[in-house]
Amino acid sequence: MEKQSGNGKIGAVLVVGGGVGGIQAALDLAESGYYVYLVEKSPSIGGVMAQLDKTFPTNDCSMCILSPKLVEVASHQNVSLRTYTEIESINGEAGNFNVKLRKKATYVDWEKCTGCGVCSEWCPVVMKSEFNMGLGPRRAIYTPFPQAVPKKFVIDKEEERLCHAACRDACPLHMNVPGYIKLIAEGQNEEAYKLISATNPLPAICGRICYAPCQEACNRGQLDEPLAIRDLKRFATDDFDIEKLEVPAVEPSGKKVAIVGAGPAGLVAAHDLALKGHKAVIFEALPKPGGMLQVGIPEYRLPKELVRKEIEYITKLGVEIKTGVEIGKHISLGELRGEFNAIFIGIGAHQGMELRVPGEDLPGVVQGVEFLRNVNLGKRVRVGRKVAVIGGGNTALDCARTAKRLGAEEVAILYRRTRAEMPASVEEIDAAEAEGIKIEFLVAPSRFIGNKRLSKVELIRMKLGAPDASGRPRPVPVEGSEFQLSINTVIAALGQAAKTDFVKELGISLSKRGIIEVDPGTGATNIEGVFAGGDAVTGPAFVVDAMAAGRRAARSIDAFLSGMPLPAEEKSEPQKLTSEEIQRLKNRFGESSQHKMAEVPVEQREGFGEVTLGYSKQEACKEAERCLAGQVTGCIQCLECVDRCEAKAIDHSMKDTFEEVKVGAVVFAGGYECYNPSELYELGYGRLPNVVTSIEFERILSASGPFQGVLQRLSDGVPPQKIAFIQCVGSRDAKHNRPYCSSVCCTYAIKEAMIAKEHSTVPLDVTIFFMDLRTYGKDFDRYYERAKEESGIQFVRSKVYSVEAVDSTGDLVVKFTTEDGAIKNEKFSMVVLSVGFQSSPELVKLAKEVGIQLNPYGFCQTKPFSPVETSKPGIFVCGAFSAPKDIPETVMQASGAAGEISAFLASARKTLTKERVYPPEKDVAGEEPRIGVFICHCGINIGGYVNVPDATEFARTLPNVAYAERNLFTCSQDTQERIKKVIEEYKLNRVVVASCTPRTHEPLFRETIRKAGLNPYLFEMANIRDQCSWVHMREPDKATEKAKDLIKMAVAKARLIEPLKPLSLPVNRAALVIGGGVAGMTGALTLAEQGFEVHLIEKSNVLGGIARRIHYSLDGEDVQQFLGKLIKKVQEHPKIRVYTDTWIVDVRGYVGNFTTEIMRYRGRVIEKIDHGVAIIATGAEEYKPDEYLYGRDPRVLTQLELEEEIVKKNPDIVNCDNLVMIQCVGCRNDERPYCSRVCCNEAIKNALKLKEMKPDMNIYVLYRDIRTYGFYEEYYEEARRKGIIFLHYDLEDKPKVRQERKGSQLLLRVQVKDKVLGDEIAIDADIIALSVAMASSPDVRELAMLYKVPVNEDGFFLEAHVKLRPVDFATDGVFVCGLAHAPKSLEESIAQAKAAASRATTILVKDAIIGEGIVAFVDEALCSGCGVCEVLCPYGAIAVNRDKGVSAVNEALCKGCGTCCAACPSGAVQQRGFTRKQISVMLDAALTGV
Amino acid sequence: MTVTLSELDTRFKYDVANEPGGENIKLCFACGLCTASCPVADIDQKFNPRRIIRMVLLGMRKEVLSSDTIWFCIQCYNCQGHCPQNVDFADIMKALRSMAVREGYVAPSFVEKIKEIDVFCQKLRHEMVSAIVDSRSRGVEVEPSGLAKEALQRL
Repeated sequence: MEKQSGNGKIGAVLVVGGGVGGIQAALDLAESGYYVYLVEKSPSIGGVMAQLDKTFPTNDCSMCILSPKLVEVASHQNVSLRTYTEIESINGEAGNFNVKLRKKATYVDWEKCTGCGVCSEWCPVVMKSEFNMGLGPRRAIYTPFPQAVPKKFVIDKEEERLCHAACRDACPLHMNVPGYIKLIAEGQNEEAYKLISATNPLPAICGRICYAPCQEACNRGQLDEPLAIRDLKRFATDDFDIEKLEVPAVEPSGKKVAIVGAGPAGLVAAHDLALKGHKAVIFEALPKPGGMLQVGIPEYRLPKELVRKEIEYITKLGVEIKTGVEIGKHISLGELRGEFNAIFIGIGAHQGMELRVPGEDLPGVVQGVEFLRNVNLGKRVRVGRKVAVIGGGNTALDCARTAKRLGAEEVAILYRRTRAEMPASVEEIDAAEAEGIKIEFLVAPSRFIGNKRLSKVELIRMKLGAPDASGRPRPVPVEGSEFQLSINTVIAALGQAAKTDFVKELGISLSKRGIIEVDPGTGATNIEGVFAGGDAVTGPAFVVDAMAAGRRAARSIDAFLSGMPLPAEEKSEPQKLTSEEIQRLKNRFGESSQHKMAEVPVEQREGFGEVTLGYSKQEACKEAERCLAGQVTGCIQCLECVDRCEAKAIDHSMKDTFEEVKVGAVVFAGGYECYNPSELYELGYGRLPNVVTSIEFERILSASGPFQGVLQRLSDGVPPQKIAFIQCVGSRDAKHNRPYCSSVCCTYAIKEAMIAKEHSTVPLDVTIFFMDLRTYGKDFDRYYERAKEESGIQFVRSKVYSVEAVDSTGDLVVKFTTEDGAIKNEKFSMVVLSVGFQSSPELVKLAKEVGIQLNPYGFCQTKPFSPVETSKPGIFVCGAFSAPKDIPETVMQASGAAGEISAFLASARKTLTKERVYPPEKDVAGEEPRIGVFICHCGINIGGYVNVPDATEFARTLPNVAYAERNLFTCSQDTQERIKKVIEEYKLNRVVVASCTPRTHEPLFRETIRKAGLNPYLFEMANIRDQCSWVHMREPDKATEKAKDLIKMAVAKARLIEPLKPLSLPVNRAALVIGGGVAGMTGALTLAEQGFEVHLIEKSNVLGGIARRIHYSLDGEDVQQFLGKLIKKVQEHPKIRVYTDTWIVDVRGYVGNFTTEIMRYRGRVIEKIDHGVAIIATGAEEYKPDEYLYGRDPRVLTQLELEEEIVKKNPDIVNCDNLVMIQCVGCRNDERPYCSRVCCNEAIKNALKLKEMKPDMNIYVLYRDIRTYGFYEEYYEEARRKGIIFLHYDLEDKPKVRQERKGSQLLLRVQVKDKVLGDEIAIDADIIALSVAMASSPDVRELAMLYKVPVNEDGFFLEAHVKLRPVDFATDGVFVCGLAHAPKSLEESIAQAKAAASRATTILVKDAIIGEGIVAFVDEALCSGCGVCEVLCPYGAIAVNRDKGVSAVNEALCKGCGTCCAACPSGAVQQRGFTRKQISVMLDAALTGV
Repeated sequence: MTVTLSELDTRFKYDVANEPGGENIKLCFACGLCTASCPVADIDQKFNPRRIIRMVLLGMRKEVLSSDTIWFCIQCYNCQGHCPQNVDFADIMKALRSMAVREGYVAPSFVEKIKEIDVFCQKLRHEMVSAIVDSRSRGVEVEPSGLAKEALQRL
């Protein structure tokens, strides 16, 4: 990275923390010519602001205003976003730091990840979402919130999986067993079902009759007993009805596949092929589909209704089943081959094996498979009283138990080997014996005896001999051991064979035993295009094996049909645990046994009703929780994500990576954490579900929150009718080591209360319990009044003692005392704790390692005159890490820190940054439009609902469309490359993207086509996501039609769009700063130190402003000394020209090119100054009161006057006995309904100073709310400790001041009602100090007119956005700072001045400013010069040219808002890019057709 | 009624702060948690810890030290456990009581009597609790208020 550097300084900056502060600092720095590493520990930037529902005091949606900032910073070429990254160390010194970064393993390759979210959708691990404060779920693979930036996924993995998931390897279908078991353990049964059915199209069937090789392999079985995997699968299928399963839309391939046999192999093959878009037709010889599932397995083990439903779902996918059609009989295989592109043969083995025993033909001797088939097909089947079944497999047992159910009195199974060799499953054997079936071992029939009908069977005893080919001991007859048994029915269940003669027609090779020979890896026969699988290939085997064969063949057929080589199947051997692993796991989890499913008791088994009863939810959960894979926190490594990710981005082997970067400076913007109030037992948090914290409440209110913004309480989901907010939880609490004020809670509580009332579906009462209401910010007091007057929110001045449950309803009783001492118990349905700020432990640790000085509470220590500097040079701070503060102050500080750094690193500016370089722009004038249309699937966001292939086909038919394609993600990096290539290849001159919203994505695509040499305005977008797929999810057909219409409209407009050439404006690199106070001087210096020329205008004859009257700060700093130094620096700076006694007369021009006319020396000189930017820092004034005898009694002073007298050590004042201060004089009233913010601190400052001089002076402060926000609270505490008395009064009951004659004295008597005492208090004051309002400067309005910037009702300048653009104006190039913006402390003014300078720098460093291309233009022939446009234009960009009598647009000022176009009565004004013609063709396209 | 501060003893708060336990009295910011948490105030709202602190801070020496209310505190320390400013009201009560004795607002015998009441209350409580515990083992339901007479007799 390091190319060159200036003076040894490195032109890069590390920003720690990706909240709004870090983002702003990064953007300002990157725009000012520095390369930025923005490091954030979580997966996305956004910080706490992203979690907020709304922002005060405008109630804007927080995410909506933040989101564009996230995109902006992420796409900035000079910001390197390092999310999910932690800082290991910072070494070095100012100008040259070495930073070691650790990128945490994401387990997702972000280069490949498209953010589609399919992985998360399928992830079976449900965790608590940190973003939703644990109130909602997220998955182990996740992105924190939908608008996360970067939109990349991470896997939350704490430890490696504890077992080998041998189940998955053992399963022939490789089902995600750990995944669905985990979902069942978490009670997510529907999802478990969906995960199961994703790999197993016959789940209810397998959940009953699978031989469960998974269970055999289960690693838990090595500890104690294996998991009952099959039964859990069955539970999931019992709990969810397949009829509710969605049928996915699939694009047809046009290929046809014939499938012979509708058994498990054929069904799975058909299912898989259908999902690939191939048309599958199944031919089944039997009257019903299902093969052995239908005709082999008895009803009591597998209800046929389940078979019907699961097959029905497969047909819903478009599979056709023709029953009663036997290949070789009704149609020949050759005919099929002619009609279909491929064939799969899965005919099963339905031929019973003969016994080859004399008398076998006698009536009464039947074949097992035939017997079962007849029963299952509902044919009337009779059995005799005594039944013998020959065989030892599951078929034999099925026959025996079926015979019993058909009424046989005695049923015996005759088996030629012993129990140990029986191939049937143990459960079946046990069940049969339980039902009274006898099993005779080591016996075989030698002859059937009977006359016309079977009456006896002759049997011979067997013994075990040497092992045969199967590895089992061969049964050997014992000579002479024959005996006879009278019997009515014999069922021969020896085994089955396939009837495969018909395949010979095509020359398919068969084995000697008559089974079809295939390649075991692919299922391919020796004839091309013909595949086979199942029992016909393997001989009788298990259902799941046949299914796996069907799947294998389908995979091969799909490859065959697309001309790809056939994929060979990967073998995976189930792994066992080592003995050490077993021991370790036993130690950790102990042992537990399987929970068995309930069964119908033997005596109650009647007919063919199902025997097993399945699990209850609790049982299933308990059993599922035994799974070892699910025991780890976070990711269980089931690898579902790996299978799901189309981009192949998942990599479970990823490790943390380390990196070192070099930077010249560092900004700590690490933000804060919310206090956890669990330790405050009485307030009930963590103990009572309906007590929540304010940040949790934000999520409850948020539309993107866990309840979609439906206000409800947590205990029962019922909307609350009465909510209490409790303030100062974890703030102003010395007992819990949090004596500071968290500054924002009062206002956010008001906001939450108002929003709750707005959201509530029922009438809602809200009470806010507070000590002092601290709405000290700009316009916050108005907000407070609105809350009281308009929203009817109750405010109670009291600290709540306790919150208790009232009964079992979830309601709560809040205990508190009112000011007069009455104790109240009031019932509420919900309580919100307004929790305070604390700094995060990781940040504190890092700060300590770096050597930054922290205050005792873990916040960064700063000094009043350097509010963004830490104790370590080169390291800066902004936002809540320096003290609790709200968003605009954080943003101000962020810009302030950027300004400071910009000055510090000025010599290294632009040494590491990159410029965007573009190819020359192609001239498309006169060319016939050749439009390229790119349609986005957006994963499933669009593709899941809109038929994108169909829409793409449609786009191709539109006139002038030279090319159309669809992309999984049109916005992905690879697609950008592709778009460029296609523009080149197809000579496109217009591009349309149909995807999401231009709000977030238009800049990206414009950039892409610009890189391909097209003018960026030759681009049009159709929003087929937000406006189509998202709102019409339930109507996919109509959504597709609408998408087509939207595309048609966009294409229609694209035909008419033209290249636009925004103005490129040169930048005059001089700044004009208006106001020579601390803010103005600080702003001027910050710019001058970067080498920019600054003109500093001051109307009075001296620099210093109101600070000239401030002598010391609360923490004892000497303000005059600071001010003196500042003035000297400004006056001596070679780049600053100071103009005193100077007034602004006129302003012309626009950003980059202003000309301001000034009048000096009372009109004797008029000069013109050319400048690129202007900073307004005109300050404010002290209100001159006419109340409280001010001006009529010399003993009544303002605080500033008092301060001057203190400094002069006026003995009448510093030696007086009784001094009264009255707060809020002239403000927070009807005339000035705002708080002047600094007065509480100023009063305390002066009171403390007086106490220092005369400790026994009685000082009384009469206040409405003490607003010592942040760490100023310490001084309030200090004041009380010194004995200063604070008495509260209300606006309705203001103190009275009168003169009272007492003998020779004229007493100055202050009378005030003390609510705690309940009495009037009279104080005979020697001195009264009034804390008066800060009033706006009188020349504000004129200046506002000149620079075309707005002013609020109180006469303070109104910034562009109260939250995110606190020093900018909507008018580019003009900035504001200091008291001209709003009342604030010296410290805050300094930070804001640096911020304004920083914002100004982003313009001054540019060589040119590119204007907006979409601007208004005037058709002079139509314009009547009425001037409506001129009046309405908010930017002063259009004006009537008096000479010509028509309007003219100043393109440099025009923002393209369209107001003039809409207002123009003659249609003379139009907007480029949105001309009337362009809009009307869109309407035509929408309404009529092409 | 108007309280005229010039007629009061504004040194009072410093005196209380100089007593053991009274150090933090001036830190009170009148949140009222002491009163809300007080079991005595639950029974008699005339007992208002916050108001007592305010009287001290304003200098109402005579009114506080001669007041009945400073003797009502049962020293449960609940207020002290919750005060966000560590004002330690229960300890302040002890300080005020000793000042009241020292400055002659109450006779030492008065304090002795109150000590006696405290001991008596503890005994009464012990007896009544024992009676309820007994009744439980006998399986009978007993109303606590009904036990007062019986307990008084036993004492």
